[in-house]
Amino acid sequence: METLQYTLRKLITGLPLLFGVTLISFALMVYFGPDLTYELVGKNPTQEQIERVQSELGYDQNFLVRYLDYVREIVTLDFGQSFSTGEPVADLLARTVPVSLALTLPGFILGNLLGILLAQIAAWNRSGWLDKLIMGGAVVGMSISFLVVIIAAQVIFSSSYGLNWFPVRGWSVYSLADYLYHVAVPTLALVFVSLGYNTRFYRAVFVEEMSRDHIRTARAYGTPPIPLMLRDVLKNSLIPIITRIMFSIPMIIVSGSLLIESYFGIPGVGKATFDAITTGDQPVLKAVVSLTAVLFVLVLIINDILYKWVDPRVSLK
Amino acid sequence: MNRPLLEVDNLVIEFETDRGTIRAVDGISFCVGASETLGLVGESGCGKSVTALALLGLIPSPPGRVAAGSIRLDGRELTGLSEARMRKVRGKDIAMIFQEPMSALNPVFTIASQMTRVIRRHQGLSRRQARAAAVEMLALTGIAAPLRLIDDYPHQLSGGMRQRVMIAMAMSCEPKLLIADEPTTALDVTTQAQVLEQILALQSSFNTAVILITHDLGVVAETCSRALVMYCGRLAEEGTVESLFAHPRHPYTAGLLESIPALQASRNRHLPTIAGAVPDLAELPPGCLFADRCPSARSLCREEHPRLITSGRDGRVACHFPVQSREAYRAALVQWES
Amino acid sequence: MSINQPANPGVDGRLGPDEPVKYKGPGPATGLDSPLRKAVYKLRRDRWGMLGLAIVIVYALIALGVVLGLWGQDWSSTAGPRWAGISAEHWLGTNLIGQDIFNRALYSTRTAFEIGLVVAILSTLLGALLGALSGFYAGTWIDEIILWKKGVLDAIPFYLFVAAVAFALEGNAWAMHIAMIATFWTITARLVRGEVIKLKNLEFVEAATAIGASRMVTLFRHILPNTLHILLVQGTIVFVSAIKSEVILSFLGLGVQEGTSWGLMISESTQEVLSGQFMNFIVASTMMFILVMAFNLFSDSLQDALDPKKVH
Repeated sequence: METLQYTLRKLITGLPLLFGVTLISFALMVYFGPDLTYELVGKNPTQEQIERVQSELGYDQNFLVRYLDYVREIVTLDFGQSFSTGEPVADLLARTVPVSLALTLPGFILGNLLGILLAQIAAWNRSGWLDKLIMGGAVVGMSISFLVVIIAAQVIFSSSYGLNWFPVRGWSVYSLADYLYHVAVPTLALVFVSLGYNTRFYRAVFVEEMSRDHIRTARAYGTPPIPLMLRDVLKNSLIPIITRIMFSIPMIIVSGSLLIESYFGIPGVGKATFDAITTGDQPVLKAVVSLTAVLFVLVLIINDILYKWVDPRVSLK
Repeated sequence: MNRPLLEVDNLVIEFETDRGTIRAVDGISFCVGASETLGLVGESGCGKSVTALALLGLIPSPPGRVAAGSIRLDGRELTGLSEARMRKVRGKDIAMIFQEPMSALNPVFTIASQMTRVIRRHQGLSRRQARAAAVEMLALTGIAAPLRLIDDYPHQLSGGMRQRVMIAMAMSCEPKLLIADEPTTALDVTTQAQVLEQILALQSSFNTAVILITHDLGVVAETCSRALVMYCGRLAEEGTVESLFAHPRHPYTAGLLESIPALQASRNRHLPTIAGAVPDLAELPPGCLFADRCPSARSLCREEHPRLITSGRDGRVACHFPVQSREAYRAALVQWES
Repeated sequence: MSINQPANPGVDGRLGPDEPVKYKGPGPATGLDSPLRKAVYKLRRDRWGMLGLAIVIVYALIALGVVLGLWGQDWSSTAGPRWAGISAEHWLGTNLIGQDIFNRALYSTRTAFEIGLVVAILSTLLGALLGALSGFYAGTWIDEIILWKKGVLDAIPFYLFVAAVAFALEGNAWAMHIAMIATFWTITARLVRGEVIKLKNLEFVEAATAIGASRMVTLFRHILPNTLHILLVQGTIVFVSAIKSEVILSFLGLGVQEGTSWGLMISESTQEVLSGQFMNFIVASTMMFILVMAFNLFSDSLQDALDPKKVH
């Protein structure tokens, strides 16, 4: 009951965010976005045809009217069909979102788990050689461009100049073996590129936590290193960890990994959204933007509920 | 005389800082007899808490380290002990109570979870047995209904209750030595007295030796038999509580005694404080570190560091010109201030 | 010797258990006062940080040389043979259309600095301004609006936002810069806001208000200068983010529109590496890696020197 009330309250406080995201996306992507008139009128249009299309697109209306129209379509979930392919938007999302999730989740999960593990080792050996080695590696990892990592991974693992184990590009997945075959190199690149940032972030969290009085108490009562790090330090650090992970989730769902999808030619939602922006495919944009905003509000709510779950001091007020 | 339980000899603790190596504790030596209560007195930053952490091998390293000296518990040397062996000492042979009951307990685990972990680790009991032992210990610290709060989280308890939990945890493995670092400072006055009494009661029933770290001489007078006064990481004076209070020999001790507000004294009485500030440990002056604040300092005090000399029957003092009497100190203070 | 000197670092920076040490906070910033000098001293002793700074300076000189026309001018000439190897004429070979890779890499240094500096300076200033207002008027509608804007921008995926800005500006060469500035200020603003909230309750600020300084003067003369350590560190972090983002944006076709850049070179190389032509890729990514690495090292040591509370 408390949670339900809380959720409703939070949904209401999420409204300004929804308003902001729809407003910005409308202004940037629709109002000032690409002019679609000539793509829709066909060849050799008459002035009349042009005006009819423009009026269908609402170009003859003012900003406010068009924005309200845009919001109405979002609220009523009336997204219609993609301008460029004619595919219903719901189908498009149902097709692309799972691909993006399948593509990015393994890398995301591994990158975070490995980051936490390395950060624990570094924090426990704080200022020792192992710490310096791990943190030095993190800085190196952070200094390499994602694109460079992807290209290098492709050359090393997927080209005839390297091991040639995995496909150069594409995503033809019909079985688990196919999946592993296609997801390996992207996962490797994602882990590599996120590991440095994750390790640094988590190490800072753990080091801060280790300076707390209750960790000193735990040590003063003889707690061995592994329980100390995995129980006392980790459980007390869960709030920043959860926050970091939770707020990455909407990004993964709506933009997947745009770069990986573009590079490997994988039909994910990131690529689909990007194409929609470049072609001014409004129905797709509307759907993705509203999905983003709703996911963000959901994440805000789930985040707070998780806080309460890991830290008994938190109350949902 | 029996061999003392704890013997600390010439302990030196150093910290690396941006401004060079500083000595937080510089060559202090003392003993604690079995079931004795020793007071460790001094201002904040004088090295008393660092000394306590050194006994448990918990000096944060880096930047800190025990640079020299020996710590023997029951004749067993602790300073060179491996981390794994030291962990068996922590909580079992030596237990510690901390100042802040708010933050010293882990906020995300229940009292039961935190206590049973310590009990199981050191006594190898089953989960159920450990829980029973925890309940029993909580009852011994004067908690009326231990079963009601054992599954609570620390933030659900009052400060006094939390400190009792801390005491119960400390005593749960019947340690030989209990270090209580300002156990009552963060509590309100009525709770302070109860918590102190509880520590003393448990001490006598378990025959535990106690090192009570405090800045409050009143607490020392009530609880301890002997006390050490520390100043800037060095031992200023050591003696029985009676002799320290009646005949302080070090001007610093005398100054601390003068600055205790007495209830019966008239309100208008001027309450003397010790003027000046603690010297910067990174740039220590030669000679006595207290010289700049001392009403009876002479030129020798600024040149030569005073050695510890025996004073009275079993006391020691580090002063070139020890105080003759509290009256003499007061007179010197009045003269110095004018 | 000062009274406030910690006599003893103790455990976790606490002096002793007797009294919790209150955060004394920085005093009014007065030119080269002692904390700043201490920071510079600390910075100069940090070998890795100084190495990083030295490399950054070398790169800056390369970029300056390009601006002054000393080198890297022939980056667009297609006179060379395609995919030439290393030779006296083309030190690092040529690309698909016969452009000299060495010259292109030099010219790209200039591009990197232009993007890095423009984005770092403007987004840091914007973040400082909005963060300061937000913190100074914490709890009022000004704060609410700024926080709302921040939340909205954080909720929109970065690359999609840049794409939208780029298309809204119809291929404007500054679209990428504008999009980066518009998104990168939020972190700076959050940090500055927190610091300003802390600072405005300190004594010297109250003193300034008490002697009649106006609110704006208090904010910009007395509070904001004390967030300089945050701004400097954030500036270096944004610089790095900007040149790293440029690579990805250029690959997506949203990046550099005029001239060339490491990002464009790396994007070109995606067509070449599968044919075994690695020079473009290796040169551009190495040049970029070294600069980013150097900046990261410098940024870290800057943070160590300026922020006494940072955990190591």
